[in-house]
Amino acid sequence: MKLFYLIKKELIEITRQKELLFLMFVSPVIQIVILGYVISTDIRHVPVGIVNLSQGQAAERIVERVRRSPLFDVRLESRHGMDYLYPLKKGEVKAMLVFRDALDRRRSLLKYPEVQVLMDGIDSNTSMIAAGYFNGIIKQYILDDMEKLGRGVPLAGRPVFRFNPQLRSINYMGPGIVGFLLTIITMFLTSASLVREKEQQTLDTLLISRLSTLEIYVGKALPSALIGLVDMVIGLLVVVLWFDIPFRGSLFYLFLAALVYLAAILAYSLLISVLSATTQQAMFFAWFSLMIFLLMSGFFTPVENIPPALRLVADVNPLRYLIKIIREIFLKGNGIAYFWKDLLALAAIAVTLVSISLLNFKRFISK
Amino acid sequence: MNAAAPAIAVRDLSKNFGRFQAVKGISFDVAPGEIVGFLGPNGAGKTTTIKMITGLLKITSGTVLVDGLDRREQPAQVKRKLGYMSQKFSLYPLLTALENIEFFGGISGLAPRELKAAMARMGEQVDAAVLGQKIHDVPPGIRQKVALFVCLLPGPEIILLDEPTSGVDPEARRLFWSEIYRLKTQGKTLLVSTHNLDEAEYCDRIIIIHNGEIVAAGAPDELLRRKQKASIEELFKDAISEHGQD
Repeated sequence: MKLFYLIKKELIEITRQKELLFLMFVSPVIQIVILGYVISTDIRHVPVGIVNLSQGQAAERIVERVRRSPLFDVRLESRHGMDYLYPLKKGEVKAMLVFRDALDRRRSLLKYPEVQVLMDGIDSNTSMIAAGYFNGIIKQYILDDMEKLGRGVPLAGRPVFRFNPQLRSINYMGPGIVGFLLTIITMFLTSASLVREKEQQTLDTLLISRLSTLEIYVGKALPSALIGLVDMVIGLLVVVLWFDIPFRGSLFYLFLAALVYLAAILAYSLLISVLSATTQQAMFFAWFSLMIFLLMSGFFTPVENIPPALRLVADVNPLRYLIKIIREIFLKGNGIAYFWKDLLALAAIAVTLVSISLLNFKRFISK
Repeated sequence: MNAAAPAIAVRDLSKNFGRFQAVKGISFDVAPGEIVGFLGPNGAGKTTTIKMITGLLKITSGTVLVDGLDRREQPAQVKRKLGYMSQKFSLYPLLTALENIEFFGGISGLAPRELKAAMARMGEQVDAAVLGQKIHDVPPGIRQKVALFVCLLPGPEIILLDEPTSGVDPEARRLFWSEIYRLKTQGKTLLVSTHNLDEAEYCDRIIIIHNGEIVAAGAPDELLRRKQKASIEELFKDAISEHGQD
């Protein structure tokens, strides 16, 4: 019952701050919508330039396919020789496609033109993807041509993309954003909670009260957990209803994973709060930690890309496991049989963090 | 309360913060039902001593017994005996006065019915509109009243008040001390720290602390007689100069 009054007090304090209310319940929607649109690896309308020096029909047909493709935006076309590098240097286009008939006698017997693709390699990701798209167009043209001639293709790999057939990057990012929201809200709220008591000089009264150490610890963590879960539900609704990402799995497992994750992240945030002398310090620690958690979580890039020396950080990063589990549940509809190892790792991290945090909390209280 | 034992017994109590010794092996008793004034300039060691008695600060050396219970051995039992009101009233600024009372009553373990009765009691003393205001909008005198009220909610036998009258007007101070007397008539023991020397006259005994050492202790009248001083202020200045100024 004493715990109830502490939780009630915490919730009153949080809800009395209008700016905080906005940050807690409106900003997640804004963040998720912005992140959903901005963090996309889908490449569309890549600006390209075409120089067609070929006299053949094939070059014209391929150029036509490039023109019609939504992946490319043809900004420049020429049938005369020019400085191909200049439009790339100027930033007018990301790629220059140059078609010419082969001068080599043997090659000129073929009906296909020679193609040179000059890419702006600064944005390596876009360049690689755009080059892949362009190669796809050429490959498809040749396959269509061979089929018309009645020549069967001896071997062709036809990939089938399950769980995300349209290969929408938002389907990959969306569930991750839900995990990100759960982290950002709970971490900032909790890491400020104890330090706020220090600053407004109410901590002593709290410590001398009849509340036990555990009650204070839990009472500080639970309100943030509650708000975090509400935010997670808001995030889920936006992701499913706004971005039309299918939710195929079990809500029970999703909340189970979220609860285990919350134990870990709240313990970590309370540790920040204990170690910080001011709210400013706590916010700095929280922001720094959030960046590390996020960059090492597989949210943007696969964890496998992280160099082995830094992999250990990723291995103890609770967000990494949450994001993986959320994606499994969300997109694949997997049950616990598929992610129990991740859940177990998350639980082990949670137990460790709670132990360290509680120990520090007790030490701090009996200083 | 064990009438034979002192309500508070402090023996050779010291507190070090790194190399700085804030409290230097002080000893004193507070008898049950007594009002003891803990006097000293800012930084003398009053708050540090009180915080060691409450358990908010670790003791470097020495012992504190509260109603015969060792503060280090039985911290939870000691906690139940004590009421503590800190220097800044320690109320939650975003909560209303009533919400503060409800919160502190709730965490003291009061049943909802007792809590309601306590809130009604406060309502008899202070205008309901004021009690409904956020505590930082409430006048300091009322804030002080609320702070003392919440400190008493768990029904402590021994009450430690750390500079309870700083920042309030003379009328509020007078009313506050009449409340302290009322508590004494109920058999409560009070240790009140202050740097307002005129408040010494309200106390059964005073302890003057300076630079972490006790420089004078006794009943105000007896001390004045013994030291042949005309006022507490004179006595205080004399005691401090004897032990060196800061």
